[in-house]
Amino acid sequence: MAPPTAAVEVRGLTFRYPGAAHDTLRGVDLRIEAGDFVAVVGGNGSGKTTLCKAFNGLVPHFWSGDLTGTVLVDGRDTADLSVAELSHHVGYVYQDFGNQLVRPTVRDDVAFAPVNFGLADWRERTDEALEALGITAIADRFTWQLSGGQQHLTALAGALALRPSVLVVDEPVAEVDPARAAEIYERLAWLNRTLGTTVVVIEHHAELVARYARSVVLMADGAPAWHLPVAEALARTDDLAAADIPAPQVTAVARAFAPTGPVPLTVPQTVRWLEEREVGPRVAGRPGGEAPEVEVGAGARPGGEVASVPDEPRVVAHLEGVGHGYRAVSGPRTEVLTGIDLTLREGERVALVGSNGAGKSTLLTLLAGLAVPRAGVVRVDGTDTRDVSAAELADTVCYLCQRPEEMFLQDSVRADVAMHPAGRRVAGTTELVEEVLERMQLGDVAHRDGRLLSGGQQRRATLAVGLAMRPRLLLLDEPTSSLDLRSRDDVIAMLTALAEHIRCTVVATHDMHLVAEWADRVIVLDGGRVLADATPAELFARPDLLERARLVPPQVTQLGLALGLDPVPLCVPDLLRRLTPRTPTTAGAPA
Amino acid sequence: MTAQPTLAPIDAPRPAPKPAPRSAPKGRRRGDGDGLSVEWVKLELMRVAYATRGGFLAHRDPRAVLGWYVVCGVAPWLTYSTTVLALLFVLALGAALAARIGPLLLGLFALGLAGQAVYVLALVWFLGGDPTAIEGIVTIQLKLGAVSLVSMAAFVSLDPEKLSDALLALRAPAVLGFGVSYGYRMVPLLIDEFHTIIDGHRLRGAPARGHGLLGWRTARRVAVMTVQAFYPLMLNAAKRTRTTVEALETRGFTYAAHDDAGRRIRLAHLRIGVGDVVLLVVSVAVVVAAFVVGAAYPGVLG
Repeated sequence: MAPPTAAVEVRGLTFRYPGAAHDTLRGVDLRIEAGDFVAVVGGNGSGKTTLCKAFNGLVPHFWSGDLTGTVLVDGRDTADLSVAELSHHVGYVYQDFGNQLVRPTVRDDVAFAPVNFGLADWRERTDEALEALGITAIADRFTWQLSGGQQHLTALAGALALRPSVLVVDEPVAEVDPARAAEIYERLAWLNRTLGTTVVVIEHHAELVARYARSVVLMADGAPAWHLPVAEALARTDDLAAADIPAPQVTAVARAFAPTGPVPLTVPQTVRWLEEREVGPRVAGRPGGEAPEVEVGAGARPGGEVASVPDEPRVVAHLEGVGHGYRAVSGPRTEVLTGIDLTLREGERVALVGSNGAGKSTLLTLLAGLAVPRAGVVRVDGTDTRDVSAAELADTVCYLCQRPEEMFLQDSVRADVAMHPAGRRVAGTTELVEEVLERMQLGDVAHRDGRLLSGGQQRRATLAVGLAMRPRLLLLDEPTSSLDLRSRDDVIAMLTALAEHIRCTVVATHDMHLVAEWADRVIVLDGGRVLADATPAELFARPDLLERARLVPPQVTQLGLALGLDPVPLCVPDLLRRLTPRTPTTAGAPA
Repeated sequence: MTAQPTLAPIDAPRPAPKPAPRSAPKGRRRGDGDGLSVEWVKLELMRVAYATRGGFLAHRDPRAVLGWYVVCGVAPWLTYSTTVLALLFVLALGAALAARIGPLLLGLFALGLAGQAVYVLALVWFLGGDPTAIEGIVTIQLKLGAVSLVSMAAFVSLDPEKLSDALLALRAPAVLGFGVSYGYRMVPLLIDEFHTIIDGHRLRGAPARGHGLLGWRTARRVAVMTVQAFYPLMLNAAKRTRTTVEALETRGFTYAAHDDAGRRIRLAHLRIGVGDVVLLVVSVAVVVAAFVVGAAYPGVLG
């Protein structure tokens, strides 16, 4: 069954970074079979990345700490091989893959390693890697022109050009939309299947693990807690939850009906699993029930015009016929937004969704007044953004950009939070700052440089910056990207708690969990136009719209849809309330 | 959550946005960025750096371009004849235009030249100096002008790959060649990041309180912002580089430093063609001709 040599074999590996007080890896024993597709999961600081860097020799050849034990790759001891030699065996794609690209064009970057090693067939290797990842068409583009997903594929191709037998990918889908995340995983699965490459991914998303991985390693405190086939691994929901890896929603649903035993991993499996246990919708289901009519198109929402009905909440922002575009280095201007009519009202929690390049960020910059539209009018709080400077508008609107480290302009979190109120000489700035810091639970790190905090802390710090500006309209670009799920839930909870202070919040996001759990209005952008403007439940009941906008709804809504629930459930408890065992003998019961 | 004294009362009196003074249509309105904007400068820099415009040097072998640059860049230093310098200046201007250096560089160059001329003339007039001193000034101006135009023409025509290949071919250290191409790669990122940071300062920093006399307040504000942007920019760049250094190790960059096979592969595509030879011969001939003409008519401008 098992091939004679393991792709990677780790024996008694202990490692401590120079100057560190604790061992990062403590006695790791692990065997990864050739041709496996392994997901390494674990909480922050559990040693996942360090372990993977031991596979390609960066530990200990580059990071020279105290190391005991051995790592064998393709049967050879990494201690005897240099990082350069090991790169022919193990390809590594970083979490911040953009920084891995060092040459100007895609083709040149992919060829970089084969050329450095002086391989005579570098040209074939390059073409082959480009072809394998389907990026031949963009081979002559400059790497800084690429989208995040394309950059990732380029980095992957660069590693693949050395034809490694093992490919390590650190959090491949942190910053791409859900459909693209699936695409990247499909590529990895294809490499695994057709080329027999052993794939090791470090991943937070249990749903992706469930769908693509064959075995799972759970890292805890610097050593693997276990290494199990995927179905068994995901059935250990308690272990996963302890490591901040919430189980996939379908698994959570199944666990509510059967506290032990095997669990389904995908939506279709769950449908069958529930059928076998005779669990179904509580009220006689309405299979094929008609989806509520979603108004498609710009400004179709009732009250799309300026408030005239007395009981309508006040208008916070109003866009009329807005169009915008950018000029690229060469070629004509690309239109990013065309003919956008929107009205944002007080009390709304708006999610702005759509694929990469659909115009979400552009719409936010227009609302923030960082740019003025080329066509149409943007009014925020009654003021045309053309009439005031962006700095003046900042008293009303706060825009938190996608990369949190760009929000840190001072050398401590406290100074960053204080920057806006202090600059405008707001009375009681000190109290305000203290209060915001306390509320965002940043008291302990307030003196530290924001850039050196963890991802979750950085997001909280940027939210604190926004809160201290006391905006009427809060704009957030991807507030949950590259966060582990615990930090993500934190951010969603914080956003919910902010509702009482901020009139209207607009979030541009790929995170459909955020949409389902937080938003009360979803605006779908597609090709620079408003494709739909609906509630999350209405949107998730429309597969045609979802597909067109490349959205993948949370598993629980997919499951609800498959079971014929109407309206579709948005969270696990909601679904559980509406399901019931048809026979009272079934063990366990939903809440 | 308990009541929040300073946060909760969002309806408490607070400075409303001030649309009043400028909301009238006749007031100064913000443009849509079609004219001279940060965005335009950014794009223009990218076009220059990545040689996207073409031009007569763009398709030559990079070594020939560097050779051309040496010939045309050194020649002005070999003479004090204003005739020769004027000729070389005109030729350099022609070359720069033919290399399509673009409006930004040309504009900056013209601005610099004009500014310098104005201040020299003012100085001469103010100090009641000898007008013949102007001649010396003109000489040095022509010299510097010709050299800068030639430099611009050469580097606008070399994209990062060509430049680093040329350096490698001429036996410059591998790190220098790599540094050049990596620098080019980082430029767009740094420009974008700088833009974001400056935007952050604009939005969150103390608002401008008028322009001040001759705009000194604005000038001071911009200067302070630029200095303050430096720290986050460098720190972020340092964080990026950590991954890059590791990646270079895994991608055989250090291996290539003591192995010549990579260098040979990288340079295999370089070919000195007929066009390159013609370019060099013609440039040398033209420069020599300029010197001959200068010797024949030494006093045209003097």
